[in-house]
Amino acid sequence: MTHMISQLPTDFTMLEPFVAKWALATSKQRHAERLNSSSIELQQFYDVILPEMRHLLAALDHYALGELPEELYKLYWLSLSFAEVAPHIELYKGSVGVPYAFEEKRFIYEAGDIVNL
Amino acid sequence: MNSNTKLRWGDLYPELGIEPIPTEPCISPEIYQEEIEKVFSKVWLKVGRVEEIPKKGDYKVKRIEFAKTSVILMHGKDGQIRGFHNICSHRGNKVVVETGDETYGSSKAAVVTCRFHGWVYDAKGDLVNVPEEDKFTACFTKEHNGLTPIRTQVWEGFIFINLDTEGTQDVEAFLTGIGAHLGGYPFHEMDECFAYNTVLDCNWKVAHDAFAEAYHVATIHAGSFPNVFASGLQDVQLLGDHRTCAVCLTKNAHPKPAAALSSEITGASLVNHYERKQLPKSVNPHDRDDFSFELSVIFPNILVHVTEGVWFTHQFWPISHDKIRWEGRYYLPKAKTYSQRWAQEFAQVLQRNAWLEDTATMEDTQAALASKAKKVMHLQDEEILIRHGYHVLEQYLNRQ
Repeated sequence: MTHMISQLPTDFTMLEPFVAKWALATSKQRHAERLNSSSIELQQFYDVILPEMRHLLAALDHYALGELPEELYKLYWLSLSFAEVAPHIELYKGSVGVPYAFEEKRFIYEAGDIVNL
Repeated sequence: MNSNTKLRWGDLYPELGIEPIPTEPCISPEIYQEEIEKVFSKVWLKVGRVEEIPKKGDYKVKRIEFAKTSVILMHGKDGQIRGFHNICSHRGNKVVVETGDETYGSSKAAVVTCRFHGWVYDAKGDLVNVPEEDKFTACFTKEHNGLTPIRTQVWEGFIFINLDTEGTQDVEAFLTGIGAHLGGYPFHEMDECFAYNTVLDCNWKVAHDAFAEAYHVATIHAGSFPNVFASGLQDVQLLGDHRTCAVCLTKNAHPKPAAALSSEITGASLVNHYERKQLPKSVNPHDRDDFSFELSVIFPNILVHVTEGVWFTHQFWPISHDKIRWEGRYYLPKAKTYSQRWAQEFAQVLQRNAWLEDTATMEDTQAALASKAKKVMHLQDEEILIRHGYHVLEQYLNRQ
């Protein structure tokens, strides 16, 4: 096993296994990653991050909006990926796409490439 | 219809009739052409918000495909927003180079410069500089070669244009009724805009109609909003060319954990009822405690929905008889904290998903209608806004 350099504050080490896949800076990346996942991957991420969400948001709220230190970027992006993933577990029975929907890739989000900081 | 059905809305508005609606207007290129000439080229159309060009010298260029033009909306040094066709008076090049359907820019001097030969126009449309002007003949004067204006007026921060060069009606007069109904809502306080768009292979009315009733929510939104909204409308008002109603909650929905967390943080969402703080008195006039949001249609092509702390729009731009550009915009107050920003992200993602559900039927509907196997569509009483839409449209098309 390779030595893993911690990318999250110590309180959130349980989220470390999800950083590579879900700590994504833009909406477009998070959307694409959700479509690129299996139901099991969505469920695993959801199950681990849900109980941490209040604590996680409180940690982010130590900083004024727009002034997050770089070492918390990945934690923030994980929370935004949770927003992308949660409806699929809570409402769509684990389906990775929105069921009975228009082709998702044809929907253009105008701020999709903005890096959320 | 059952002969003894009591109509909540049909009985209030008998002039709309009860007959089925012909499908021909959704598939006929000839009727489409007539709609472009008699409706879209005559009435006021929303093309932007003042927050999109907040500073003097800011401009937005929006393509208006059905009119084969683009409009430059420019915020002048005098604070006024004016509209012009994006075409140079010299040899007809586009003055502002467009990067898509909507292009934004800013000029400290509040001018736009054609990159072909460097002709410069100010925000009043006046031609202020022509390189090598002295080499043009006496037939040419700067004074008579400004940008071609398009009538542009602002109502409650919405920028409207009117392509009718002979028209004289102001936007306020055009909006009579609906303007009074929605006027005073603090649209500008919610200026964080989440904007989506796509091109759909359907008639503009097919898209409009899909959003203009709540009958579909139990089926179409069984995924994203299960058991959240009631199918019946409340407080329907037909206001000249425009129309409005309230969409209400079942109050039987049980929010799942992420939705509950988001609602708790933002204190604003469509799935809860909130005490009146921002809504004008004419919206939800009887203070129903199941009120979710007001669904208003500003004729011909925009739906405006308002509630406490959130408003959103759908707009349908005709491209051909079976093609549109759809724009969905969801407006929230600027987040003040990271947790609020997260809650907004969740609300916005869920709304996007609901819109993906809404748009799912449109191309199928169009393709099926094109078969001409069905000559009419049947509307129930709670689809009164759609019936009114066809009624108003017919009046426009019957004008000589």
